[in-house]
Amino acid sequence: EDALLPAPQNISILSTNMKHFLTWSPVIVQGETVRYSVEFQGEYEREYVNESWIPICECSLIAATVCNITEDISATVAYNLRVRADIGARRSEWGTLKGFFNRITTSLTPPLMKVIADGYHLLVELEDMGPAFQFCVLYWKKGQESRVQQKVVKEVSSVIHLDTMEAGPDYCVKAQTYVEAINRSSSFSQTQCVRAQGGRSMWL
Amino acid sequence: TAGNKIFHFGSCRISMSVTEIRSGFTAIKANIQARDPVRTLSILSYPHSLHKVKSSDRCCITHHLFNFYVDKVFKHCKTEDSYVNRKISSIANSFLSVKRKLGQCHEQKKCMCGQESTEKFNQILANYEGLNVTSAAIKSLGELDILLDWVE
Repeated sequence: EDALLPAPQNISILSTNMKHFLTWSPVIVQGETVRYSVEFQGEYEREYVNESWIPICECSLIAATVCNITEDISATVAYNLRVRADIGARRSEWGTLKGFFNRITTSLTPPLMKVIADGYHLLVELEDMGPAFQFCVLYWKKGQESRVQQKVVKEVSSVIHLDTMEAGPDYCVKAQTYVEAINRSSSFSQTQCVRAQGGRSMWL
Repeated sequence: TAGNKIFHFGSCRISMSVTEIRSGFTAIKANIQARDPVRTLSILSYPHSLHKVKSSDRCCITHHLFNFYVDKVFKHCKTEDSYVNRKISSIANSFLSVKRKLGQCHEQKKCMCGQESTEKFNQILANYEGLNVTSAAIKSLGELDILLDWVE
């Protein structure tokens, strides 16, 4: 009788900027292609639907050892996740993530940002990180750190106009992300400073 | 923006990812509404629209309705379509999160129930129980945008 396949081990979540991935160690069987299937269970399923599990069809019988679960982790509640292995008719037990995963624990990185001096106009370009993200942009005249101004950017479209600069002083800018769904912010990006000089862009 | 909003129901303030709920519902709305066998009835809007509820009763009705959907509706909406089931799970888990917050307001006496909201909710329950459970659940799920529009 075929030996039972070992269940996948080292099951863990990689979650950055509200993108969530389940990963696990491969099950090694010489000369065979092992395939994996993933299921999830939200708090609702645990409490109201007899602890039922829901398959993620994009991660059914896949050869990879990673599954993008972002689409299914779409509420700020505790989720359970599990994965099992298959080779033909042989099937392993479920390997289950140790502990729950709640998207509130996602790691938030500072946004990529590019500050532009377009003549006397202070502009900033922000990375589009998806609909869940807002940005808090701080800008000030160098040396006047006590008079920081703030602009909240709710939707990234194109270049954002921050201010009209005077000729001479440097203007500095930094930004952080904010995710309303989990009420958390990233740390601030590196500060970037520019200076207006006539009509020409000046990058420091 | 895409994301949470803070909703004020009198002194009860709760954040809700309405956009996420709505996008989950929009993805399956046509599929769910196509399964609704009884087109001539409404669970939420018969005989009166939710918009007739006094503002002082809004918190209580909202609390009742989120409980109603979590306790009664979603579990009877399982379909043969895995994609639809995943979206229902996403909505249900979001509703559970909001239900808890409303429950806290209720415990803190910030979400009191007047006669009108009690009557309105009893009418909704009567509409629901007038159908067999699967039809009633599918119809209620199909009316989710009525609830979301009213809440927003």
